[in-house]
Amino acid sequence: MRVALAEDGALFRQGLVMLLEAAGHEVVACEPGGDELLRALAGQPVDVAVLDIRMPPEPDGGLVTAERLRASHPDTGLLFLSHYAESHYLVRILEIGTERIGYRLKEKVGSVDVLSDTLTRIAEGEIVIEPVLARRLVEKPRNDRANVVAALSERERDVLKLMAEGRANGAIAGELFVSGKAVEKHIASIFDKFGLHADATESNRRVLAVLTYLRSQREG
Amino acid sequence: MSGTITGVQHGSSHAGRVKGAIPTPREGAPPRPTARRRRRLAGMTTADDPTRRRERRREHWQRRRGLERRLHDGAALRISSLALRLGLLDAPREQVDALQGEVASALDELRAVAAGIYPPLLHEAGLGPALLEAVRASGADVALDVTDERCGAAAEGAAYFALVDVLAAGSGPLAVTARREGSTLVVRIDGADPALACVLDDEAAPLGGTVDTDSSLIVARFPCG
Repeated sequence: MRVALAEDGALFRQGLVMLLEAAGHEVVACEPGGDELLRALAGQPVDVAVLDIRMPPEPDGGLVTAERLRASHPDTGLLFLSHYAESHYLVRILEIGTERIGYRLKEKVGSVDVLSDTLTRIAEGEIVIEPVLARRLVEKPRNDRANVVAALSERERDVLKLMAEGRANGAIAGELFVSGKAVEKHIASIFDKFGLHADATESNRRVLAVLTYLRSQREG
Repeated sequence: MSGTITGVQHGSSHAGRVKGAIPTPREGAPPRPTARRRRRLAGMTTADDPTRRRERRREHWQRRRGLERRLHDGAALRISSLALRLGLLDAPREQVDALQGEVASALDELRAVAAGIYPPLLHEAGLGPALLEAVRASGADVALDVTDERCGAAAEGAAYFALVDVLAAGSGPLAVTARREGSTLVVRIDGADPALACVLDDEAAPLGGTVDTDSSLIVARFPCG
């Protein structure tokens, strides 16, 4: 896979290049900031661009760079790496794109297998979200306030959590030890309870389900 | 806490990457000075000059924000890089996983310390997003209505930490609004125990702000800038 990266910490940048190369990927560009990355990618597309969120141009250069990259190279996958897993950033990331995009903690991509799996899933069009963030969002609904997630059954909540991590139906079925048909039924029920109807594509509805949850929290 | 901060201060060789001037943390910046300490500090300079006092308090918040940035750019980055390098070791998978697990725990602790100094989201996204995360984490029943306008490190920091303390006091459902009115950040808390006004006053007064209560409504004013 052809990969480019932008990260303002030299140590982390070097470590990431070593790991990417050990995983057999070609690192086409390796830059200390977003503007440099955009210049480097002007004439040579990559499969996935790896971006630090908090880098130049300040304060969150990764997000600004991603917006520009998505506009100029819509087929390039985007992987955000950050020291923080914040739902605030997840919402902003999903506003940039709902396909070929990922958000993971820097310390959680520290193996050839995990890094390659993350990049492959993004290049194939999936959304990859740091599991701890997906779990926190779904498992901590606000106590006394009626919200859309409260209307879900426990099993539907499990399914939504795995959807928020970007898992496909087969993987969700495997994880929960249920049939693919059962997963489809749960997802249809989640879409229904969230008021997401069939005019959107399946992939968009999955993202909208996660976003509906996030916005319900945001708007209180 | 002061030991941790001092260690980071000396341990960071990445000071060149830190944006803007960061004053040396003179006294380790504890989150909330005691009344005794405030009196002692006040006695150290032109005794009751309120302008000097406000200035010092504003510097205090700038310094805290700078310290968080140092943790992020220094120690946290080094430790995350270590996680990647461990992944390149030619060692049994379980051993590497265990070491990376330790590294991840160290980073979790570092994030908790950084959030107690100055939450990065408060700096980058403002009071609204930072309070929303705090409310989510606490599970408190709070309706938030917070301006998107920025009010500066001091007003935002003071209001944020005061409100986190109010949330921790765990009273009934609250409605919190925050608006910028001219050069003042005005925070209204409806539904709180009026006794909690002192928590807000501890943060607002040193900046030259005020706090008023009217039955279950607390109104705190934090000067911006």
